[in-house]
Amino acid sequence: MIKVERRPVSDPGIDENAKKLTPEQIEGVIRHVLEKESAGRLRTFVETCIHCGLCSDACHYYLAYKRDPSYSPVAKVRLTLWDMIRRKYRVDAESIKMYARISYAECNICKRCSMYCPFGIDIAYLMTVVRRICGLLGVVPQYLQDQGNSHMYTYSQSWVPQDDWVDTALWLEDELRMDIRNGRIPFDKEGAEVMYSPHSLEAKFKTNLLTNIAKIMNVAGVDWTMPSFDGWDSTNQAMHVGDYETMGMVERMHFEAAMRLKVKKIITSE
Amino acid sequence: MFEFLTSPAVYQFIRGPLVWLSFMIFIGGNLYKFLSMLSLAKKDKVVFPYISLKYSLRSILHWIIPFASTNWRKRPGMTVITFFFHTCLLVTPVFLIAHNALIKESWNFRLWTIPETIADVMTVVVILCALIFLMRRLVVPEVKFVTFGTDYLILSLAVLPFITGFLAYHQLLFAYELMGTLHILAGELMLIAIPFTRLNHMVYFWFTRAYTGSEFGAVRHTRDY
Ligand code: HEM
Ligand code: SF4
Ligand code: SF4
Repeated sequence: MIKVERRPVSDPGIDENAKKLTPEQIEGVIRHVLEKESAGRLRTFVETCIHCGLCSDACHYYLAYKRDPSYSPVAKVRLTLWDMIRRKYRVDAESIKMYARISYAECNICKRCSMYCPFGIDIAYLMTVVRRICGLLGVVPQYLQDQGNSHMYTYSQSWVPQDDWVDTALWLEDELRMDIRNGRIPFDKEGAEVMYSPHSLEAKFKTNLLTNIAKIMNVAGVDWTMPSFDGWDSTNQAMHVGDYETMGMVERMHFEAAMRLKVKKIITSE
Repeated sequence: MFEFLTSPAVYQFIRGPLVWLSFMIFIGGNLYKFLSMLSLAKKDKVVFPYISLKYSLRSILHWIIPFASTNWRKRPGMTVITFFFHTCLLVTPVFLIAHNALIKESWNFRLWTIPETIADVMTVVVILCALIFLMRRLVVPEVKFVTFGTDYLILSLAVLPFITGFLAYHQLLFAYELMGTLHILAGELMLIAIPFTRLNHMVYFWFTRAYTGSEFGAVRHTRDY
């Protein structure tokens, strides 16, 4: 009765890892996430949705795919959470692959649909619940999982360890002085007004962006600093993976860096 | 079946104890649903820390007033239909002369009532709007995609008291006695079903809106309407 057409896309993070799943593992993880970890919002949102489709026009995926109904926000819930619930959590690896595709690649958690739904149902949140299930099962797009792993190993999104970070900022400061006399990229200045925390890529292959910020801060005369220690990266891809343990660690590190530097404000990029 | 429904014992039961029973289930069920939602919301780490009275009310107001939210304005047809449907659905049974006569019999008070012809028109409005909802489910792709048997069921449960009430009032289809009994039965079914089906959006609406309104207003500093 329902038609869901998707161009096949292969992703080792999804395809290969899904092969390793066992039925018990799948059922256990879904039960854990839906019954132990999630509470009021999940139940109330799922029980309230009247299936009216008024959220559809909110979604850029739905609009971009020429109003294909399988891309509407509520359809994403229908193809994931309702599916698991209706089948009493006993779903196969193919279903998990579909859940992963929908929750990671067909919804970017923008929350626009909450502004369209007459009940304010938060479908973005429901998709993060689906991501959590896929994340715990290890069925995650490879690129995203790689960034999550990088957070675990280097405390930054793009495999930039702390010594590389300091090194990069120091040579950027050298270059900055070609443009601004005595320009500074000040590390670890306690009590500064602002802590600037860059996107990980500003320490990797988009260093010109960090230079731009440094120029602005120097010319504007802002009292700013950055941590030379872990916690400098403002991004958190573990959140998108559904790896809440790493997400919590990254977030805590970031705020603790600001507290250690006793700054008044954090400015993040992007 | 019809003989069964018109037999004196069954007739008495449907018009007497079952009315009270269904009101009790309606109230008790909704209370239970409300309390279980509350206890689950406490387990959810962000619900209570986010809740703000001001933004809850702002959100609810923008969505219970026609055209006060962006999506109501973008969907004028649906807005008119759904507001007509819900207003007539809630107002007609409560302020109907015939219902108030019964209330007066039992408790010796009556509410303000609406003239019978207007109530009749409002009943037809509910039925027509329900027909449009039904058409949407059958025709509009994004609605069809998420329609299940339960959607037809709750729509029927909501509209049956109105169809049977209309037929009884105009003495159509069956004898008044039988139609009246069917009408009461349909009303009772609806009341009993509200807490245990998605018709309980009547209760949950206020709380989902309060949460999302608060999250958007107090935490994200933006609008949800
Ligand atoms: C004050 C309480 C209520 C509020 C705020 C409310 C709100 C809403 C909203 C926002 C929708 C979605 C938009 C739409 O499809 O029209 C809806 C749909 C609906 N409501 Fe209510 N409602 C309330 C009470 C009721 C009651 C008491 C009933 C019936 C017993 C009911 C029956 C329905 C039905 C059947 C639909 C779905 C129509 C469809 O199939 O698309 N509502 N309601
Ligand atoms: S949150 Fe997801 S489903 Fe909702 S509008 Fe954004 S991308 Fe679409
Ligand atoms: S999420 Fe809201 S708008 Fe979308 S179908 Fe459910 S009730 Fe309707």
